[in-house]
Amino acid sequence: MKERITYILSRVLELILTLLLVSLFTFAAFSVIPGDTAQTILGPNATPEQVEILREKMGLNDPLAFRYLSWLKGAFTGNFGNSISFNSSVSSLIVSRLPVTFGLSLLALILVLVIAYPSAVISSRRPGKFWDQVFSVFGHVSFAIPPFVLSLLSVLLASKVFGYFAVGKYVSPAKDFGGYLYCLLLPAFCIAVPKIAMTFKFLRASILTEKNNDYVRTSKSRGLSDIKIMFKHILPNSNVSVITALSIVLSDLLGGSLIVEQVFNLPGLGRLLLQAIGRRDFPLLSGIVFYLATMMVIIYFLADILMNMCDPRLRRNRGEL
Amino acid sequence: MRKKISPYFIVGSIFLLVIVLSCILGLLGAGPDPEKTNSASKLMAPSMSHLMGTDNLGRDVFARVLSASKYTLLISFAGVTVALVIGTVAGMLAGYFGGIWDRIIMLLGNSVMCFPGILLALVAVAVSGPSLFNVIWALGLVFAPTFARVYRTEVIKIKGRDYILHAKILKVNPIRIMAVHIFPNAFAQIIPAIVIGLANMTLSESAMSYLGLGVQPPKASYGKILSDAQSYITAAPWLVIFPSLMLVIYILGLYFISEGIRGDK
Repeated sequence: MKERITYILSRVLELILTLLLVSLFTFAAFSVIPGDTAQTILGPNATPEQVEILREKMGLNDPLAFRYLSWLKGAFTGNFGNSISFNSSVSSLIVSRLPVTFGLSLLALILVLVIAYPSAVISSRRPGKFWDQVFSVFGHVSFAIPPFVLSLLSVLLASKVFGYFAVGKYVSPAKDFGGYLYCLLLPAFCIAVPKIAMTFKFLRASILTEKNNDYVRTSKSRGLSDIKIMFKHILPNSNVSVITALSIVLSDLLGGSLIVEQVFNLPGLGRLLLQAIGRRDFPLLSGIVFYLATMMVIIYFLADILMNMCDPRLRRNRGEL
Repeated sequence: MRKKISPYFIVGSIFLLVIVLSCILGLLGAGPDPEKTNSASKLMAPSMSHLMGTDNLGRDVFARVLSASKYTLLISFAGVTVALVIGTVAGMLAGYFGGIWDRIIMLLGNSVMCFPGILLALVAVAVSGPSLFNVIWALGLVFAPTFARVYRTEVIKIKGRDYILHAKILKVNPIRIMAVHIFPNAFAQIIPAIVIGLANMTLSESAMSYLGLGVQPPKASYGKILSDAQSYITAAPWLVIFPSLMLVIYILGLYFISEGIRGDK
């Protein structure tokens, strides 16, 4: 028990350090911009007095370290300041776009699990045989298609063949939850496809490794059915290594969602990000970036702790690699 | 020993060859000028005079695809080189010295990897202004931790071997041990990572160009051609199909090659 507490404490320390570094990266990226932020906002026709007033208002005249600390304080209390171009607070803008981006990522994750698991189980039953080959070739090809290309192609296919045009339609979940799911389904699928392939590959390898273990042979000699061995023994053990893979998958799904939103014209964080870039709205931009990175830091942290809970061997082996 | 070449490797090489050839054709200036607009021939379907049709400004899509493959190859190779140099140095230092160095370098790398997808590169380019050079270094920095990890693991494996211990006993300079003894031995293990890195770099670059933060017009890139084509997707599907196909062929070729290399071992 003591071991576990020390482990979790050391992980929490690492979590805090990572968050600090992430915040430093984000802040640094927006502080080393060539040119004057105030000047950029006001445009080339502003008088020096106007620029000076805005600089004072934004706190740009304070020392860099001071600005970092006040930004950091705001960031950890959920207050990223006000957006320059939208005339509202950065946090409320982010919150208003969350249903799209997180809905997409979550739906995509569900698709990954629902498709990757059965195909990996089927594929690993008889490695090298027909279904394994079919799934593997499919996996390779879908691995190589960028989500936004797949989105474009599926939009093309949907409109040409089925006369169904999903682009630009978005229903908020509060209004019609079914409609909300419906309009997110195709984009979620496009983001999920390469990650389904990745998870499939990983899970298949993991199941095949587990299959060679002694406990499988023992269970078999005890007369357990293949299906029972698979679901009671092999899969729970494979899951341990899949947890880390899934946290990486989730990060990629989130990143993919930012781009695919653009193809399907969905009002999510990706759109907000690009609008912020286009309008050079740096408070908004840094808010979004820091928010997304923080989410990922926390997800990686939880995945690590979860994996540690699932596999007691990992605690003893720590520090080897 | 007879070595069987994996079919994956062969198919992958053929795919890659297609892209390299199209890049060479583009450099030689085959076909019409990729940046020349022609209002008389807008959105024409593929034909003998325009193999892949024309776009909304009357530009020849075939010529644009050829010219785009040049930038795709350039960015993926230059970006991976940047990532490899940074990743190699960081990974070797972390793996060889261990301890606090390892902690610091890995923490830095992990923090970079916490930004989902291409977010960090996107922002770096947005802040520093989109240009070919900025795209290359931004993607290089974002991909460096991946290589650092692979190198670190390899170095940890190698540094316990007898010949390294021998060199250490002879008081060889650690930098020399890393450069002369560890680096070449670890490099063989890095090759699949490099090939995969090229593919992932291309995925990221095309997404960035699609979002308008990659190669800048009038230069062509797959992502840019695709984002321009999006408004005409139903009227002119060839605008989407051919560039997508080229992009997928390049990435698939690289994946197949890495699969083939790994299968050989």
